[in-house]
Amino acid sequence: MSLDYVKFSPGFERFMPKEYRDMVEHGPFGKKVTVSQMGSFKEILEEHPMCAGCAMTLFIRLAIISFPNPEDTITVGTAGCGRLAISQAAIPFVYGNYGDQNGVASGLSRGLRLRFGDQPKDVVVMVGDGGMADIGFSGTLHSWFRKEKFTTIMLDNEVYGNTGGQESGMTNQGAVLKMAPLGKKFEKMDMLGMAKIAGCAYVATVVPNNPRRVESVIKKAVLIAREVGPTYIQAYTSCNIEYAIPTDKVMEDAKTVEDDRYKFSEYFTDEAKQFLADRYGYKEFLPKPAAAVTQA
Amino acid sequence: MYLVADINVEICAATSCKLCTQFCPEANTILYNNEAGKEKGLKYGSAYVAVDRCKGCAQCVWVCDNMAKHHAIKMVMIDQLPNAALTDNVIYGEKSTTALLTSPVVG
Ligand SMILES: Cc1ncc(C[n+]2csc(CCOP(=O)(O)OP(=O)(O)O)c2C)c(N)n1
Ligand code: SF4
Ligand code: SF4
Ligand code: SF4
Repeated sequence: MSLDYVKFSPGFERFMPKEYRDMVEHGPFGKKVTVSQMGSFKEILEEHPMCAGCAMTLFIRLAIISFPNPEDTITVGTAGCGRLAISQAAIPFVYGNYGDQNGVASGLSRGLRLRFGDQPKDVVVMVGDGGMADIGFSGTLHSWFRKEKFTTIMLDNEVYGNTGGQESGMTNQGAVLKMAPLGKKFEKMDMLGMAKIAGCAYVATVVPNNPRRVESVIKKAVLIAREVGPTYIQAYTSCNIEYAIPTDKVMEDAKTVEDDRYKFSEYFTDEAKQFLADRYGYKEFLPKPAAAVTQA
Repeated sequence: MYLVADINVEICAATSCKLCTQFCPEANTILYNNEAGKEKGLKYGSAYVAVDRCKGCAQCVWVCDNMAKHHAIKMVMIDQLPNAALTDNVIYGEKSTTALLTSPVVG
Protein backbone atom coordinates (compact mmCIF):
# COMPACT_ATOMS: atom_id res chain seq x y z
CA MET A 1 0.00 0.00 0.00
CA SER A 2 2.16 2.78 -1.21
CA LEU A 3 3.71 3.99 -4.41
CA ASP A 4 6.23 1.19 -3.90
CA TYR A 5 3.85 -1.50 -5.00
CA VAL A 6 3.18 0.09 -8.37
CA LYS A 7 6.64 -0.09 -9.81
CA PHE A 8 8.76 -2.65 -11.63
CA SER A 9 10.91 -5.09 -9.74
CA PRO A 10 14.47 -4.61 -11.02
CA GLY A 11 15.02 -6.62 -14.20
CA PHE A 12 11.36 -7.49 -14.74
CA GLU A 13 10.15 -4.47 -16.69
CA ARG A 14 10.48 -6.06 -20.12
CA PHE A 15 8.59 -9.18 -19.04
CA MET A 16 5.54 -7.32 -17.78
CA PRO A 17 2.37 -7.18 -19.91
CA LYS A 18 1.52 -3.93 -21.66
CA GLU A 19 -1.34 -3.16 -19.27
CA TYR A 20 1.04 -3.34 -16.32
CA ARG A 21 3.63 -1.14 -18.00
CA ASP A 22 0.96 1.40 -18.92
CA MET A 23 -0.22 1.37 -15.29
CA VAL A 24 3.23 2.09 -13.91
CA GLU A 25 4.05 4.77 -16.47
CA HIS A 26 0.67 6.37 -17.16
CA GLY A 27 -1.56 5.31 -14.29
CA PRO A 28 -3.07 7.67 -11.72
CA PHE A 29 -0.93 6.58 -8.77
CA GLY A 30 0.66 9.51 -6.99
CA LYS A 31 -1.05 11.99 -9.33
CA LYS A 32 -4.34 13.79 -9.10
CA VAL A 33 -6.63 12.71 -11.92
CA THR A 34 -10.22 13.82 -12.51
CA VAL A 35 -13.15 12.40 -14.46
CA SER A 36 -12.70 15.13 -17.05
CA GLN A 37 -9.31 13.61 -17.94
CA MET A 38 -10.84 10.19 -18.61
CA GLY A 39 -9.67 8.68 -21.87
CA SER A 40 -6.16 10.08 -21.56
CA PHE A 41 -4.63 8.09 -18.69
CA LYS A 42 -4.42 4.40 -17.86
CA GLU A 43 -7.15 3.50 -15.38
CA ILE A 44 -6.83 1.33 -12.28
CA LEU A 45 -9.83 -0.73 -13.37
CA GLU A 46 -9.09 -3.42 -15.97
CA GLU A 47 -11.29 -5.60 -18.16
CA HIS A 48 -13.83 -7.68 -16.22
CA PRO A 49 -16.83 -9.95 -16.84
CA MET A 50 -19.73 -7.69 -15.77
CA CYS A 51 -22.58 -7.41 -18.33
CA ALA A 52 -22.40 -5.02 -21.28
CA GLY A 53 -23.91 -1.64 -20.46
CA CYS A 54 -24.28 -2.26 -16.73
CA ALA A 55 -24.68 1.01 -14.80
CA MET A 56 -23.01 -0.60 -11.79
CA THR A 57 -19.88 -1.06 -13.88
CA LEU A 58 -19.92 2.60 -14.84
CA PHE A 59 -20.35 3.63 -11.22
CA ILE A 60 -17.44 1.42 -10.10
CA ARG A 61 -15.27 2.85 -12.87
CA LEU A 62 -16.06 6.42 -11.80
CA ALA A 63 -15.66 5.63 -8.09
CA ILE A 64 -12.20 4.16 -8.53
CA ILE A 65 -11.07 7.17 -10.59
CA SER A 66 -12.36 9.41 -7.80
CA PHE A 67 -10.47 7.86 -4.87
CA PRO A 68 -8.38 10.72 -3.48
CA ASN A 69 -5.29 8.50 -2.90
CA PRO A 70 -5.67 5.26 -4.85
CA GLU A 71 -2.20 4.10 -3.82
CA ASP A 72 -3.36 4.18 -0.19
CA THR A 73 -6.79 2.62 -0.68
CA ILE A 74 -8.11 -0.88 -0.01
CA THR A 75 -11.54 -1.93 -1.29
CA VAL A 76 -13.71 -4.48 0.49
CA GLY A 77 -16.50 -6.37 -1.25
CA THR A 78 -18.56 -9.51 -1.10
CA ALA A 79 -20.55 -11.90 -3.31
CA GLY A 80 -22.57 -10.04 -5.95
CA CYS A 81 -21.98 -8.56 -9.36
CA GLY A 82 -19.80 -5.63 -8.29
CA ARG A 83 -16.92 -7.75 -7.04
CA LEU A 84 -16.44 -9.10 -10.57
CA ALA A 85 -15.10 -5.69 -11.55
CA ILE A 86 -13.75 -4.34 -8.24
CA SER A 87 -11.46 -7.35 -7.99
CA GLN A 88 -10.02 -6.55 -11.45
CA ALA A 89 -8.41 -3.31 -10.36
CA ALA A 90 -4.81 -2.54 -9.47
CA ILE A 91 -5.55 -1.78 -5.83
CA PRO A 92 -5.90 -4.36 -3.06
CA PHE A 93 -9.36 -5.90 -2.77
CA VAL A 94 -10.53 -7.90 0.24
CA TYR A 95 -13.38 -10.31 -0.35
CA GLY A 96 -15.52 -10.77 2.77
CA ASN A 97 -17.94 -13.68 3.11
CA TYR A 98 -21.40 -12.69 1.93
CA GLY A 99 -22.55 -10.01 4.36
CA ASP A 100 -19.33 -9.81 6.42
CA GLN A 101 -17.92 -6.81 4.60
CA ASN A 102 -18.44 -4.12 7.25
CA GLY A 103 -17.02 -6.40 9.96
CA VAL A 104 -13.97 -7.12 7.79
CA ALA A 105 -13.60 -3.42 6.99
CA SER A 106 -13.83 -2.48 10.69
CA GLY A 107 -10.90 -4.71 11.58
CA LEU A 108 -8.95 -3.62 8.53
CA SER A 109 -9.44 0.06 9.16
CA ARG A 110 -8.47 -0.27 12.84
CA GLY A 111 -5.43 -2.35 11.99
CA LEU A 112 -4.24 0.18 9.39
CA ARG A 113 -4.59 3.00 11.91
CA LEU A 114 -2.51 1.09 14.44
CA ARG A 115 0.15 0.29 11.88
CA PHE A 116 0.31 3.62 10.01
CA GLY A 117 -0.83 6.16 12.60
CA ASP A 118 -1.75 9.50 11.10
CA GLN A 119 -0.80 8.55 7.55
CA PRO A 120 -4.21 8.08 5.90
CA LYS A 121 -5.07 4.65 4.51
CA ASP A 122 -8.57 4.59 3.06
CA VAL A 123 -10.93 1.62 3.35
CA VAL A 124 -13.90 1.59 0.98
CA VAL A 125 -16.64 -1.05 1.08
CA MET A 126 -18.60 -1.49 -2.17
CA VAL A 127 -21.36 -4.12 -2.13
CA GLY A 128 -24.82 -4.79 -3.51
CA ASP A 129 -28.11 -3.98 -1.85
CA GLY A 130 -28.76 -7.63 -0.96
CA GLY A 131 -25.33 -8.03 0.58
CA MET A 132 -25.75 -4.88 2.62
CA ALA A 133 -29.39 -4.29 3.50
CA ASP A 134 -30.37 -7.97 3.92
CA ILE A 135 -27.54 -10.38 4.66
CA GLY A 136 -25.01 -7.82 5.96
CA PHE A 137 -27.56 -5.62 7.69
CA SER A 138 -26.51 -6.09 11.30
CA GLY A 139 -22.80 -5.86 10.48
CA THR A 140 -23.38 -2.65 8.53
CA LEU A 141 -25.50 -1.00 11.23
CA HIS A 142 -23.15 -2.03 14.02
CA SER A 143 -20.12 -0.64 12.23
CA TRP A 144 -21.98 2.68 11.96
CA PHE A 145 -23.09 2.68 15.60
CA ARG A 146 -19.50 1.91 16.62
CA LYS A 147 -18.42 4.89 14.48
CA GLU A 148 -15.93 2.87 12.46
CA LYS A 149 -14.08 5.27 10.20
CA PHE A 150 -14.42 3.96 6.66
CA THR A 151 -16.69 4.49 3.64
CA THR A 152 -19.60 2.19 2.84
CA ILE A 153 -21.06 2.31 -0.68
CA MET A 154 -24.25 0.48 -1.62
CA LEU A 155 -24.43 -0.53 -5.30
CA ASP A 156 -28.22 -0.42 -5.29
CA ASN A 157 -29.62 -2.23 -8.30
CA GLU A 158 -32.76 -3.03 -6.31
CA VAL A 159 -32.39 -6.79 -6.89
CA TYR A 160 -30.11 -9.78 -6.31
CA GLY A 161 -28.57 -9.46 -9.77
CA ASN A 162 -25.83 -12.04 -9.54
CA THR A 163 -28.17 -14.89 -8.65
CA GLY A 164 -30.89 -14.18 -11.18
CA GLY A 165 -33.48 -11.83 -9.74
CA GLN A 166 -34.60 -12.34 -6.14
CA GLU A 167 -36.08 -9.34 -4.31
CA SER A 168 -33.99 -7.52 -1.71
CA GLY A 169 -35.04 -5.16 1.06
CA MET A 170 -34.12 -2.35 -1.37
CA THR A 171 -36.49 -3.54 -4.12
CA ASN A 172 -39.48 -1.25 -4.56
CA GLN A 173 -42.85 -2.34 -3.26
CA GLY A 174 -44.84 -4.15 -5.94
CA ALA A 175 -41.87 -4.91 -8.20
CA VAL A 176 -42.23 -8.27 -9.95
CA LEU A 177 -38.95 -10.09 -10.55
CA LYS A 178 -38.07 -13.47 -12.02
CA MET A 179 -37.74 -14.98 -8.59
CA ALA A 180 -40.26 -12.73 -6.86
CA PRO A 181 -43.27 -13.48 -9.09
CA LEU A 182 -45.89 -12.25 -6.62
CA GLY A 183 -44.34 -8.82 -6.35
CA LYS A 184 -42.45 -7.30 -3.44
CA LYS A 185 -44.76 -6.98 -0.44
CA PHE A 186 -43.10 -4.26 1.66
CA GLU A 187 -41.53 -0.86 1.04
CA LYS A 188 -37.95 -0.16 0.01
CA MET A 189 -35.86 0.03 3.17
CA ASP A 190 -34.78 3.47 4.32
CA MET A 191 -31.06 2.82 4.66
CA LEU A 192 -30.35 6.55 4.35
CA GLY A 193 -32.48 7.30 7.40
CA MET A 194 -30.82 4.47 9.29
CA ALA A 195 -27.34 5.72 8.36
CA LYS A 196 -28.18 9.11 9.86
CA ILE A 197 -29.69 7.63 13.03
CA ALA A 198 -26.67 5.36 13.47
CA GLY A 199 -24.36 8.38 13.34
CA CYS A 200 -22.80 8.49 9.87
CA ALA A 201 -20.96 11.77 9.38
CA TYR A 202 -21.83 11.96 5.66
CA VAL A 203 -24.69 10.34 3.76
CA ALA A 204 -25.32 10.83 0.03
CA THR A 205 -27.47 9.46 -2.78
CA VAL A 206 -26.17 9.59 -6.32
CA VAL A 207 -26.87 8.23 -9.80
CA PRO A 208 -24.04 7.65 -12.30
CA ASN A 209 -25.60 9.81 -15.03
CA ASN A 210 -23.64 12.69 -13.52
CA PRO A 211 -19.97 11.61 -13.43
CA ARG A 212 -18.66 14.78 -11.79
CA ARG A 213 -21.18 14.45 -9.02
CA VAL A 214 -20.10 10.85 -8.42
CA GLU A 215 -16.53 12.12 -8.21
CA SER A 216 -17.48 14.81 -5.72
CA VAL A 217 -19.42 12.52 -3.34
CA ILE A 218 -16.76 9.80 -3.39
CA LYS A 219 -14.01 12.29 -2.54
CA LYS A 220 -15.98 13.82 0.32
CA ALA A 221 -17.01 10.43 1.73
CA VAL A 222 -13.46 9.06 1.71
CA LEU A 223 -11.92 12.22 3.19
CA ILE A 224 -14.51 12.54 5.98
CA ALA A 225 -14.06 8.87 6.93
CA ARG A 226 -10.36 9.48 7.55
CA GLU A 227 -11.01 11.32 10.79
CA VAL A 228 -14.62 12.23 11.46
CA GLY A 229 -16.67 9.03 11.27
CA PRO A 230 -18.44 6.49 9.06
CA THR A 231 -19.71 7.68 5.67
CA TYR A 232 -22.40 6.14 3.46
CA ILE A 233 -23.13 6.53 -0.24
CA GLN A 234 -26.18 4.90 -1.80
CA ALA A 235 -25.85 4.75 -5.57
CA TYR A 236 -28.61 3.76 -8.00
CA THR A 237 -26.84 1.34 -10.31
CA SER A 238 -29.57 -0.33 -12.37
CA CYS A 239 -29.41 -3.98 -13.40
CA ASN A 240 -30.24 -3.90 -17.10
CA ILE A 241 -30.63 -7.69 -17.15
CA GLU A 242 -33.13 -8.18 -14.32
CA TYR A 243 -35.09 -4.98 -15.10
CA ALA A 244 -34.90 -5.52 -18.88
CA ILE A 245 -33.49 -2.08 -19.66
CA PRO A 246 -32.09 -1.95 -23.22
CA THR A 247 -28.38 -1.16 -22.81
CA ASP A 248 -28.56 1.99 -24.91
CA LYS A 249 -31.33 3.29 -22.62
CA VAL A 250 -29.50 2.74 -19.32
CA MET A 251 -28.62 6.42 -18.91
CA GLU A 252 -32.14 7.47 -19.88
CA ASP A 253 -33.46 5.15 -17.15
CA ALA A 254 -30.92 6.61 -14.69
CA LYS A 255 -32.18 10.12 -15.42
CA THR A 256 -35.84 9.11 -15.10
CA VAL A 257 -35.24 7.31 -11.81
CA GLU A 258 -33.12 10.17 -10.50
CA ASP A 259 -35.88 12.69 -11.23
CA ASP A 260 -38.56 10.40 -9.85
CA ARG A 261 -37.28 8.80 -6.65
CA TYR A 262 -33.49 8.90 -6.45
CA LYS A 263 -32.80 12.62 -6.21
CA PHE A 264 -29.29 13.72 -5.38
CA SER A 265 -28.98 14.34 -1.66
CA GLU A 266 -26.14 15.05 0.72
CA TYR A 267 -26.17 15.15 4.51
CA PHE A 268 -23.19 16.26 6.61
CA THR A 269 -22.70 16.55 10.32
CA ASP A 270 -21.35 19.96 11.38
CA GLU A 271 -18.09 18.29 12.32
CA ALA A 272 -17.78 16.83 8.81
CA LYS A 273 -18.30 20.24 7.20
CA GLN A 274 -15.77 21.85 9.51
CA PHE A 275 -13.26 19.10 8.76
CA LEU A 276 -13.60 19.48 4.98
CA ALA A 277 -13.16 23.24 5.27
CA ASP A 278 -10.24 23.20 7.71
CA ARG A 279 -8.31 20.24 6.39
CA TYR A 280 -9.06 20.14 2.69
CA GLY A 281 -10.03 23.75 1.93
CA TYR A 282 -13.62 23.08 0.78
CA LYS A 283 -14.70 26.68 0.20
CA GLU A 284 -18.42 26.04 0.53
CA PHE A 285 -17.96 25.10 4.17
CA LEU A 286 -15.62 27.93 5.16
CA PRO A 287 -17.21 30.41 7.56
CA LYS A 288 -18.83 33.30 5.68
CA PRO A 289 -16.84 36.56 5.86
CA ALA A 290 -18.17 38.82 8.62
CA ALA A 291 -19.32 41.52 6.13
CA ALA A 292 -21.47 39.03 4.19
CA VAL A 293 -23.11 37.86 7.40
CA THR A 294 -24.07 41.35 8.57
CA GLN A 295 -25.44 42.32 5.14
CA ALA A 296 -27.62 39.20 4.90
CA MET B 1 -20.24 -11.22 -35.88
CA TYR B 2 -20.82 -8.53 -33.31
CA LEU B 3 -21.22 -4.79 -33.01
CA VAL B 4 -18.70 -2.31 -31.71
CA ALA B 5 -18.80 1.46 -31.46
CA ASP B 6 -17.15 3.50 -34.20
CA ILE B 7 -16.51 7.24 -33.93
CA ASN B 8 -16.54 9.55 -36.92
CA VAL B 9 -13.37 11.64 -36.56
CA GLU B 10 -14.66 14.48 -38.72
CA ILE B 11 -17.74 15.04 -36.60
CA CYS B 12 -16.05 14.47 -33.26
CA ALA B 13 -12.97 16.60 -33.97
CA ALA B 14 -15.18 19.57 -34.80
CA THR B 15 -16.09 19.82 -31.10
CA SER B 16 -14.61 16.87 -29.15
CA CYS B 17 -16.74 17.42 -26.09
CA LYS B 18 -15.15 14.45 -24.29
CA LEU B 19 -18.47 13.35 -22.89
CA CYS B 20 -18.83 9.79 -24.15
CA THR B 21 -15.92 8.26 -22.27
CA GLN B 22 -17.34 9.47 -18.96
CA PHE B 23 -20.37 7.27 -19.63
CA CYS B 24 -18.81 4.18 -21.19
CA PRO B 25 -19.00 1.50 -18.51
CA GLU B 26 -15.72 -0.06 -19.64
CA ALA B 27 -12.34 1.29 -18.56
CA ASN B 28 -9.92 2.66 -21.19
CA THR B 29 -12.25 1.80 -24.05
CA ILE B 30 -13.09 5.25 -25.42
CA LEU B 31 -9.81 7.12 -25.54
CA TYR B 32 -8.78 10.55 -26.86
CA ASN B 33 -6.23 11.53 -29.43
CA ASN B 34 -5.80 15.29 -29.23
CA GLU B 35 -4.05 15.35 -32.63
CA ALA B 36 -6.58 13.31 -34.65
CA GLY B 37 -8.17 15.29 -37.47
CA LYS B 38 -5.68 18.17 -37.18
CA GLU B 39 -4.12 17.15 -40.51
CA LYS B 40 -7.53 17.91 -42.02
CA GLY B 41 -7.66 21.30 -40.33
CA LEU B 42 -10.09 20.19 -37.63
CA LYS B 43 -9.58 21.83 -34.31
CA TYR B 44 -9.93 19.59 -31.33
CA GLY B 45 -8.72 16.02 -31.76
CA SER B 46 -11.07 13.09 -31.54
CA ALA B 47 -12.33 10.25 -29.40
CA TYR B 48 -11.73 6.69 -30.65
CA VAL B 49 -12.64 3.21 -29.48
CA ALA B 50 -10.27 0.40 -28.49
CA VAL B 51 -12.56 -2.16 -30.09
CA ASP B 52 -11.15 -5.18 -28.25
CA ARG B 53 -12.57 -3.74 -25.02
CA CYS B 54 -15.92 -2.54 -26.39
CA LYS B 55 -18.86 -4.69 -25.21
CA GLY B 56 -21.25 -3.20 -27.76
CA CYS B 57 -23.76 -1.69 -25.31
CA ALA B 58 -24.27 1.51 -27.37
CA GLN B 59 -24.49 3.72 -24.30
CA CYS B 60 -21.94 6.03 -25.95
CA VAL B 61 -24.23 6.34 -28.96
CA TRP B 62 -27.06 7.51 -26.70
CA VAL B 63 -24.76 9.97 -24.93
CA CYS B 64 -23.36 11.44 -28.16
CA ASP B 65 -26.83 11.65 -29.75
CA ASN B 66 -28.83 12.91 -26.77
CA MET B 67 -26.47 14.66 -24.39
CA ALA B 68 -23.76 15.97 -26.70
CA LYS B 69 -26.16 16.14 -29.70
CA HIS B 70 -23.29 15.46 -32.09
CA HIS B 71 -24.30 12.10 -33.61
CA ALA B 72 -20.70 11.04 -34.12
CA ILE B 73 -20.94 7.40 -32.95
CA LYS B 74 -22.42 4.44 -34.79
CA MET B 75 -22.51 0.74 -34.01
CA VAL B 76 -20.74 -1.23 -36.73
CA MET B 77 -20.14 -4.94 -37.31
CA ILE B 78 -16.51 -5.46 -36.38
CA ASP B 79 -15.62 -7.11 -39.69
CA GLN B 80 -16.93 -4.04 -41.52
CA LEU B 81 -14.25 -1.85 -39.96
CA PRO B 82 -11.20 -1.80 -42.21
CA ASN B 83 -9.06 -0.39 -39.42
CA ALA B 84 -9.52 0.19 -35.74
CA ALA B 85 -7.61 0.71 -32.50
CA LEU B 86 -6.72 -2.26 -30.32
CA THR B 87 -5.42 -1.97 -26.76
CA ASP B 88 -2.01 -3.39 -27.71
CA ASN B 89 -1.52 -0.52 -30.15
CA VAL B 90 -2.48 2.33 -27.83
CA ILE B 91 0.35 4.60 -26.72
CA TYR B 92 -0.26 6.82 -23.71
CA GLY B 93 1.27 10.29 -23.68
CA GLU B 94 1.18 13.10 -21.14
CA LYS B 95 -2.31 14.40 -21.84
CA SER B 96 -3.51 12.32 -24.75
CA THR B 97 -3.10 8.96 -26.44
CA THR B 98 -2.39 7.76 -29.97
CA ALA B 99 -3.08 4.42 -31.60
CA LEU B 100 -1.82 2.69 -34.68
CA LEU B 101 -4.94 1.54 -36.55
CA THR B 102 -4.93 -2.02 -37.86
CA SER B 103 -7.49 -4.52 -39.06
CA PRO B 104 -9.47 -5.58 -35.96
CA VAL B 105 -10.19 -9.04 -37.36
CA VAL B 106 -7.55 -11.76 -37.18
CA GLY B 107 -6.67 -13.47 -40.45
C1 LIG C 1 -23.67 -16.88 2.51
C2 LIG C 1 -24.02 -16.82 1.07
N1 LIG C 1 -25.31 -16.93 0.69
C3 LIG C 1 -25.65 -16.85 -0.60
C4 LIG C 1 -24.70 -16.62 -1.56
C5 LIG C 1 -25.09 -16.58 -3.02
N2 LIG C 1 -25.06 -15.25 -3.59
C6 LIG C 1 -24.04 -14.84 -4.35
S1 LIG C 1 -24.29 -13.32 -5.02
C7 LIG C 1 -25.80 -13.21 -4.31
C8 LIG C 1 -26.73 -12.05 -4.57
C9 LIG C 1 -26.09 -10.75 -4.63
O1 LIG C 1 -27.07 -9.75 -4.64
P1 LIG C 1 -26.70 -8.29 -4.22
O2 LIG C 1 -25.92 -8.31 -2.96
O3 LIG C 1 -27.90 -7.43 -4.26
O4 LIG C 1 -25.67 -7.85 -5.35
P2 LIG C 1 -25.88 -7.75 -6.95
O5 LIG C 1 -25.44 -9.07 -7.51
O6 LIG C 1 -27.30 -7.43 -7.22
O7 LIG C 1 -24.97 -6.66 -7.33
C10 LIG C 1 -26.10 -14.34 -3.55
C11 LIG C 1 -27.35 -14.59 -2.82
C12 LIG C 1 -23.36 -16.52 -1.14
N3 LIG C 1 -22.35 -16.29 -2.02
N4 LIG C 1 -23.04 -16.62 0.17
S1 SF4 D 1 -26.65 -9.02 -13.76
FE1 SF4 D 1 -27.32 -6.90 -13.66
S2 SF4 D 1 -26.09 -5.88 -12.06
FE2 SF4 D 1 -25.10 -7.84 -12.61
S3 SF4 D 1 -23.53 -7.27 -14.14
FE3 SF4 D 1 -25.40 -7.91 -15.25
S4 SF4 D 1 -26.54 -5.99 -15.59
FE4 SF4 D 1 -25.01 -5.58 -14.00
S1 SF4 E 1 -19.69 12.47 -27.24
FE1 SF4 E 1 -19.53 12.42 -29.47
S2 SF4 E 1 -18.67 14.43 -30.06
FE2 SF4 E 1 -18.35 14.17 -27.83
S3 SF4 E 1 -16.27 13.30 -27.68
FE3 SF4 E 1 -17.70 11.56 -27.76
S4 SF4 E 1 -17.83 11.00 -29.94
FE4 SF4 E 1 -16.92 13.04 -29.82
S1 SF4 F 1 -20.62 0.52 -27.07
FE1 SF4 F 1 -20.57 0.50 -24.81
S2 SF4 F 1 -18.62 -0.53 -24.31
FE2 SF4 F 1 -18.50 0.08 -26.47
S3 SF4 F 1 -17.50 2.08 -26.44
FE3 SF4 F 1 -19.71 2.47 -26.42
S4 SF4 F 1 -20.25 2.67 -24.26
FE4 SF4 F 1 -18.23 1.70 -24.35
